Amino acid sequence: MKEQTTVNKTPLIAITGQPNTGKTTLFNQLSGKKFKTVNYPGSTVEYSVSKILSKYAVNANILDSPGIISLLPVSPDEELSVQTLFNHPEYGTPDIIAVTVDASQLSRNLYLVRQLINSGFNVVVILTMLDLLHKKGFDISDKKLSEILKCDVVKVNSMTGEGIDNFLTSVNKSIQQLGKMSENNSVKKNYPLSRENLLKSYTEIEQIEKDVIFAANIPENINETDLVKINKELVVLNSPGSFQKPDEFTLKLDKIVLHKFWGLIIFFLTMLLMFTSVFYIAAPAMDLVNEAFSFLSESASELLGDNWYGNLLSQGIISGVGSVLVFLPQILILFLILSLLEDSGFLARGAMIIDKPLSKLGLNGKSFVPMLSGFACAIPAMMATRTITNKKERMLTIFIIPLMSCSARLPVYALLIAFLIPKEDALTGGLTLTLIYIFSIVSSLVIASVVNKFSKSFLRTSDNSSFILELPAYRKPKLASSITSMFSNAKQYVVKAGPVILYLSVILWVLTYLPNYDPVVNETGRSEDEIVMLKNSERIATSYASEIGHFIEPVMKPLGMDWRVGVALIATFAAREVFVSSLMVIFKVTDTGEDNQNSLLSAMQNATFENTEIKIFTPATTAGLIVFFVFALQCLSTVAISKKETGGWKIPLMQIVTFTFIAYISAFITVNGLRFFGVE
Amino acid sequence: MNKHKITDNMKTAADMKIGEKARIEDIDNSHPSSHRLMEIGFTPGQEIEMLNKTLFNDPISFSIRGSIIAIRKNEAASIKI
Repeated sequence: MKEQTTVNKTPLIAITGQPNTGKTTLFNQLSGKKFKTVNYPGSTVEYSVSKILSKYAVNANILDSPGIISLLPVSPDEELSVQTLFNHPEYGTPDIIAVTVDASQLSRNLYLVRQLINSGFNVVVILTMLDLLHKKGFDISDKKLSEILKCDVVKVNSMTGEGIDNFLTSVNKSIQQLGKMSENNSVKKNYPLSRENLLKSYTEIEQIEKDVIFAANIPENINETDLVKINKELVVLNSPGSFQKPDEFTLKLDKIVLHKFWGLIIFFLTMLLMFTSVFYIAAPAMDLVNEAFSFLSESASELLGDNWYGNLLSQGIISGVGSVLVFLPQILILFLILSLLEDSGFLARGAMIIDKPLSKLGLNGKSFVPMLSGFACAIPAMMATRTITNKKERMLTIFIIPLMSCSARLPVYALLIAFLIPKEDALTGGLTLTLIYIFSIVSSLVIASVVNKFSKSFLRTSDNSSFILELPAYRKPKLASSITSMFSNAKQYVVKAGPVILYLSVILWVLTYLPNYDPVVNETGRSEDEIVMLKNSERIATSYASEIGHFIEPVMKPLGMDWRVGVALIATFAAREVFVSSLMVIFKVTDTGEDNQNSLLSAMQNATFENTEIKIFTPATTAGLIVFFVFALQCLSTVAISKKETGGWKIPLMQIVTFTFIAYISAFITVNGLRFFGVE
Repeated sequence: MNKHKITDNMKTAADMKIGEKARIEDIDNSHPSSHRLMEIGFTPGQEIEMLNKTLFNDPISFSIRGSIIAIRKNEAASIKI
């Protein structure tokens, strides 16, 4: 049975290698970016799997996974990468392992290569970053290295794809041999664990390095004795170990980027620029999405008329889809910028700069990138915490990620700010938004440090807190690969959060439409429009949602809200972006020619407590709502990911309870504090 | 006794100044990160150069084996020079 599957199945090539060696760029070249992401069963680590592009004429699957330094993992992402190499539950053990090796840092990379070879894998070494090696004035003999390692070695420029043919020739050769090989070439974990073995391995690698690296501008097809001679001259020509010097340009730029003063300035300016550009670039696109869906909803309503299916389509489904897609522009732009910053080498420096302050709060420099991603969406952000070695720091990072102001909050803030501040005053509006962001960052850090103080009882672990990070050479980021990364991150978001939001919009519609779907109203002497309006408000006043809303009204009253806002808030516990669309459903915003947001704004302005003249939405209650949204964890997908990533219900439950409690209390203080000072 | 233990009077990578070069003598086995430090290339006999310190003098970046690696000060203190 087992033998059969191995003979018949499409060969699997796993691409592995140390971080920053061009692994994913190579994968994109081979797959033509047409890959699907698959989960490692039982976890949320995503792998990209693809068939090799047909133009390369090789029938094989390729698998990309997070980079590893050695086969002895220290962090959760490394652990899963290693498990995947040895035996992926779905794909089995890879037939070929392609290891990307940064030729400009040969010895550190060969360490992993040797572990893989010693473990019995069928290894092909791919030498990358040759341009950096040449810049140092050196070159490498792939033939020599191949002889020493007894495996195929090819040079590939993963940016241009130059040399990929050689890689595929080698792969084809290996695949043909696979059929002939018997089952007994099993892989087993066999690599030096002891200090002695590790040092012995490095001693051997250093010798290999001396044998294969030579000064550039010398033809490669020289014979062995020449190479020895040249190497001897090299010692005279270059100071010993000049090959061991990092990239010149990187060293110079680091003097500024990691400067005690200028480094900090650059760091904050970059962050500021990133966030402002996200808003400014995304705003028109978001408006466009908003208008498009308003138009669709309106057309559907006109086309189908005022009946249950017309209503379901326009109010339930179309506005539901719209509320999913409206924040997509922001997510795309934020992930694009993050990816460009990461590829350029800047994010690693950012992590280093911020490690000390974050470690004081119980976090880690490596929490930096996940926290930044959290401003787009908590789901990929929580997955990104897997690079954090220390369990407690990782749990704490996951814990506070929901406090990062994710883009799903933006439509909510946009609506509430538009209510508070007239649209013409764009500057004050922008400033208010910035203040909300700063407030959310500061409070998340405060909460992190408080949780860290009292963490002994629930985040009990005595792991070593560590920060060991390679600062890669600065490179010009490649837009194409950043765009790929942007789409794959955004996809996670749409796929995971999208359906939830859509279902909830429909459920919410049901709750507000039933049971009294055709209310009887006094029609005498009223126009058709008035009758529709009257029916709508009668229907909602007698709906299931109203019953639920009235039940929780005692909780909402202290915040200055009525049952309708309560219903919208209940809905947001599934996904916060539902807030805007549920307000539209509940306040029955039927179009009057304006776009949805403007008609919702006027509906909010006119909303009063039932049978009274008291306005619901005042500056005080609106500010209270904003504060509520800063803290509350209102996203089922986040809770689900948090449970998966932390391995239990403890942390997600703590997050729900803590954040809801803080949200309610702060909203209460805000509303009543403002009222006390005379703001209504 | 652990022969790779670092005692107080030994100089470590954490004591280096920016631009200073040194050869690694030993790695303190008792430090929990010691194995990873060696795996990433900090092995006895290698020359390291201290490149940058950030605002709080921690973490510190070193040049090792043609790479730039940032490590915390307490991890650098396990590298005897």
